[in-house]
Amino acid sequence: MKQGAALAAAAAVVIAALVLPMWIGPFYTRVLQLFFFSAALAVAWNILGGFSGYWSFGHTVFIGMGAFAAAHFVQQAGPFGSGPWAILVPVLFAGVLCGVFAAIIAYPILRLRGIYFAIAMLGVSQVVGELVNNVSWFQGGVGVFLPPPALDGMAPEDFFYYVFGGLLLLCVIIAMMVRKSRFGHALLSIREDEETAMMLGVATERYKIAAFVLSAMLVGVLGAVYAYSVGYFTTYTVFRLDFSLNMIVFCLIGGIGTLFGPIIGTAIMLFITQVLLSRFLDIHLLITGAMVVVIILLMPGGVIGALRAWRQSRATGKDREAEART
Amino acid sequence: MNLFLQTTLNGLVLGGIYSLAAVGFSLVFGVLGIVNLTHGIFVIAGAYGALVLFTKLGIDPLLAIIPIGAVLFAVGYAYQRTIIQWAISRASLVASLVVTFGVAMMARNVLQIVFGPDVHTITPTYSFSSLTLGDLRIDLVRIVALGASLVLLSVLALVLARTHFGRAIRATAQQPLAAELSGLNTRNLHGLTFGLGAAMAGASGAIIGIVQPFTATSEVAWTLNAFIVVVLGGIGSPAGALVGGLLLGLINAYTAQYVGPALTQAAMFLVLVLMLLVRPNGLLGNAFGESR
Repeated sequence: MKQGAALAAAAAVVIAALVLPMWIGPFYTRVLQLFFFSAALAVAWNILGGFSGYWSFGHTVFIGMGAFAAAHFVQQAGPFGSGPWAILVPVLFAGVLCGVFAAIIAYPILRLRGIYFAIAMLGVSQVVGELVNNVSWFQGGVGVFLPPPALDGMAPEDFFYYVFGGLLLLCVIIAMMVRKSRFGHALLSIREDEETAMMLGVATERYKIAAFVLSAMLVGVLGAVYAYSVGYFTTYTVFRLDFSLNMIVFCLIGGIGTLFGPIIGTAIMLFITQVLLSRFLDIHLLITGAMVVVIILLMPGGVIGALRAWRQSRATGKDREAEART
Repeated sequence: MNLFLQTTLNGLVLGGIYSLAAVGFSLVFGVLGIVNLTHGIFVIAGAYGALVLFTKLGIDPLLAIIPIGAVLFAVGYAYQRTIIQWAISRASLVASLVVTFGVAMMARNVLQIVFGPDVHTITPTYSFSSLTLGDLRIDLVRIVALGASLVLLSVLALVLARTHFGRAIRATAQQPLAAELSGLNTRNLHGLTFGLGAAMAGASGAIIGIVQPFTATSEVAWTLNAFIVVVLGGIGSPAGALVGGLLLGLINAYTAQYVGPALTQAAMFLVLVLMLLVRPNGLLGNAFGESR
């Protein structure tokens, strides 16, 4: 019964999302497109950072790598197919390449923990970014073009709205499947206590690498589509520290390690920065920083954590337990 | 050969400044276990403080170290006792990382609004003179900066090693519970250590201001530099910061000279990642041992 209601609600959201661009203007279509993109990134980051507790401060490396992989693929091999489907093969190639790269660096880098892993990922993203920028073959310094897909009549913002919307749905479904599976439970056990998990026979190494590769592939695909949506980009369009940080901040505000926390966090932050404060670009950093501090101090589990604590304290009349869970 | 020596000299001078800029971060990391992402803000705030004192009142940046250090000590103490302490007690030690990051974002934004996005430098009268040593040339400001860094690092090392305050800090770092049982007020000591770290960062900022141009956004680079220095040298000691800083300076200078100036960042981070994989506690290890 409960599952049926959830399914119905999900279907309603999807249908509403499908017809929405007809009602709202191009500006809000773009805002929503940005929301889908950012939320999908946060969900993908959350598979590694939220479930297994390995916070990456450098996930933008996969956005950049995906974008450049797609562009070079099109340059070398030409577009595959025609119409909107032309983006499919380059985007998939970008995802696979990011997955391969992640698999290569995974073994050494996942031996690090906590802040060391976070900063090492930041280092990886900086090194790769600098290389793409300075090795002339990559053309990161001068920038590369990605020919826009032929859309016969459809506005590009509508097209990318649907693509990013579909990708967000895909990421959520994957995250859900991970969360409910043995794989997801293994990741949670790694987050709670890696030594104990290993001792109890959880193949921590393999699961961590799998989560890392999966997260990297999703972000790589998103990066490639993002590259298509901007058309022309340089290193600094896609290797951006603020992408990496936003993924963390959005998850944190919604509730790290939960399924829908990243989406809620993205919605809150984008609503504040893009809609409420769209005229006050100067103080975006101030607001974001203040939000981060306030959320950590007042509700360390994010919005979802606070809701759960509230529900539990109402049910049991004791909020000590709720605190212990977060 | 001469080019090599000149590059080495430049690297060492730069390294001295890196060391001073990182020692506060190192101390806080070692004693409190906090990765303080606001550290770069303290450095840049010191630089801006020196700039204001120099342009408005004509105070030499090296003298400005004293008032700047005092102010940042107070700020650091208050900051640790309130926001950071709350974050640790309400959430976790990891959450304090995110909180310092949020505060850094806010502070950077405020600095940008107050001082504008322009790149600033401080130019005292001795800015443009230089010394020659055989065929080697070195700017006077850099010598002054290196000298001041070494003096401050030595003072800090002496304070930590010889004074009651230093012993109390080390005891708190090694065994917080035992230190408390022996009658030390560890909460207060944590605040004081944090203040000391902030003061050292501010002092280094005043020196950096006369050597390098700076903007509010360079705080990110100084935080990362501090982290790299700590990973290279070792946690929690002035000696570790010195070793790490000098190494980082040399890496920077050699890469700029022999590989390409655009690749210094990449080289620094490459060394960082390799070092993390091989020996994450730095060449000199954690000054406070396995206690944490």
